[in-house]
Amino acid sequence: MIRWHKVRTIAAFELGSAVKRTGFLVITFGMPLFIAGYAALVAVPAYYAAKRDREQPAIFGVVDRPGVLDLQEDIAPPRTELDEDTRRLLEATGQTAAVDRALPRSSLLFRPFASAVTARQELAARTLRGYFVLTDDYLRTGRVESYGPDTIGGGSGDARAALGILVRERLVRGRTEPDVAARIIAPMPDVRRFAVTRSGEIKDGGSVASAVRVAIPLAFTVLFLMSVLMTSGYLLQGTATEKENKVVEVLLASANPDEILAGKLMGLGAAGLIQVAVWMAMLFVTGFGAIPLLFAAQVEMPWRTLLVALPLFMLAFLFFGSLMLGTGSLGSNMREAQQLSMMWSLTAALPLMLMSVLVREPHGLVARAMTWLPLTAGPVIVMRSSLDADSLAWWEIAGPMLLLVGATWIAIRAGARLFRVGLLSAGARPSFREVIRQARLGER
Amino acid sequence: MLAFERVEKRYGETDALRGVTFDVPGGEIFGLLGPNGAGKSTLIRILMDIIRQDAGTVRVFGEPRRREHLDRLGYLPEERGLYTKLKVIDVLAYFGALKGLTRADARRRGLEWLERVELPHVAAWRVDRLSKGMSQKVQIAGALLADPELCILDEPTTGLDPVNVRLVQDLLLERRRSGRTTILSTHHMNQVEALCDRVALIHKGQLLVYGAVDEVRRRHSLPEVIVHAQAPLPAVPMAVAMTPESDRVTRVRLAPDGDAADLLAALVAAGARIDRFEPTLAPMEDIFLRVVGEARS
Repeated sequence: MIRWHKVRTIAAFELGSAVKRTGFLVITFGMPLFIAGYAALVAVPAYYAAKRDREQPAIFGVVDRPGVLDLQEDIAPPRTELDEDTRRLLEATGQTAAVDRALPRSSLLFRPFASAVTARQELAARTLRGYFVLTDDYLRTGRVESYGPDTIGGGSGDARAALGILVRERLVRGRTEPDVAARIIAPMPDVRRFAVTRSGEIKDGGSVASAVRVAIPLAFTVLFLMSVLMTSGYLLQGTATEKENKVVEVLLASANPDEILAGKLMGLGAAGLIQVAVWMAMLFVTGFGAIPLLFAAQVEMPWRTLLVALPLFMLAFLFFGSLMLGTGSLGSNMREAQQLSMMWSLTAALPLMLMSVLVREPHGLVARAMTWLPLTAGPVIVMRSSLDADSLAWWEIAGPMLLLVGATWIAIRAGARLFRVGLLSAGARPSFREVIRQARLGER
Repeated sequence: MLAFERVEKRYGETDALRGVTFDVPGGEIFGLLGPNGAGKSTLIRILMDIIRQDAGTVRVFGEPRRREHLDRLGYLPEERGLYTKLKVIDVLAYFGALKGLTRADARRRGLEWLERVELPHVAAWRVDRLSKGMSQKVQIAGALLADPELCILDEPTTGLDPVNVRLVQDLLLERRRSGRTTILSTHHMNQVEALCDRVALIHKGQLLVYGAVDEVRRRHSLPEVIVHAQAPLPAVPMAVAMTPESDRVTRVRLAPDGDAADLLAALVAAGARIDRFEPTLAPMEDIFLRVVGEARS
């Protein structure tokens, strides 16, 4: 029987001690600032380079030998349409400027040249970024010669694509009806995608919706891994400190190992979760505002998945935390503790490593098997539910969840036994036989 | 207050405790003695429910020991320490809260106890600023601040200077005056003589000696008397040996069944002019060495 007031006392102490540590504050608030600073270091030069490009149009020469383009002066290529999903997403949030920016380089200009010699001279003088030569037999062969500077990074991919649009537009101009001409230039500017479930229901199948369905389990797994790894670090550090400071027996004389383990899991787990939450909050505050954006774009959210994700997260978190703390406490120092608990970290990362298989076959044999394994159930259920909720039976959520509850309980008990043996053992790491024997002897 | 009844404990092939049975009456200072590895720590850990005995019973406060009793027990283990990165008062408040005190009460008592161990100025210090002696006193305060009915102190004065040893002894005597029970595990026999009402001596997991300190000393002392007289003592039949220690002081050994009162009467009858007559009691240290030595041989 666990005395919850003891658990609360230990949890409050561990949480208070952890969050007051300088290291915790530095990592929690300093890490995002460091990453932001680093990103700024990279982004600032890139921003100014892009700004310069926008302000100073990139001029490409065109030598039109067959005369198919009929260019009289500098001309910008026709604007292409954005993918419908992207356009809807950007416009929904009023970011029309972003629409403009997202379009192929509107700052491109094509300048007609009568001869390749002149164009080459201008390229040599670097007043051109490059030039294209439509050969005499272009209409028959489609051959185009592309010339650019002899520097790395002077690619003209955007210009080639833009020239292609310009050529299409000029080829069909006046030769067919305007609507047909428009479709030749942009055959599928507005593709609306739908997904049909196994029950025949039609759902949003757009790339944003698909991305959301993959992003939720991915975010779950990454967050879960981060939380487990951060928390396990604190747990192992806390236990190693207690061994080092020799306060173990004082603790054990006031609370039993179950209570100590549960208190530590809650207190240090909360510290780990606070850290992850602060990072996420900073990401949302400084980032793109993904959630309002998704709402505004009317992307269908997989609510059932989000609903099951929270309890699964907490259960799986407690499950792994108990196992990591129990095995880690057997180590005689921090390094050994980390080595011992490494196997659980790797197991927790298994769904992430098998993500491609699980996304391809969310209801395949591997996915179904992993659903029933407490070690992998959390992320895999979230993934299956998000990717194809209709094919995931309710008992495939309830059953593994119950199994996970039971496994978590066993993990806490087993972790507590190992924890007790680990706490009372000093010096060298106890052998496997010794651990089993001590755990039996110390049965309480 | 506390009773061990046929308590046994094995670690693999080693018998740590072999049927240990004794009582600790309430309101006393009880000395738990024994050489290193005798089984004292195992016995204490069993009492504190840190490990479980293989056989036997531990009764506390008149009933089989339950986990709930732990809140009424204080404990200063042999292997001990504090959270070095935290403030002294925070550590004390935590120890108090673990014993069931409210956070505010634990904090208040922590401050009071720092006063009592003459360290009120260190409350806001980080533990790693404390000297060894200061740390020792803070740990004692931590064990006592919940005012436990029974407190087990394992070598509480190790590393303390004589002034602080006296301070700790005074705290223990004060506990006795207020009816609290203390188990003192120590190798300092002079402290046992000065403080303890009763002792138990364990060796290789077996109880070798148990009883009130005076009774134990009498039981294990040689039948000797120190006699201060104005002239050399006359020979008397019940004196097996007479060893002069100075001009006027003689150590008289009696026969094993001899009685000091009979010796005094015989000496007076023989004309001895006696100033002082002191039946000797062996010091606890001698008893410890002799009993353990005999058990080893």
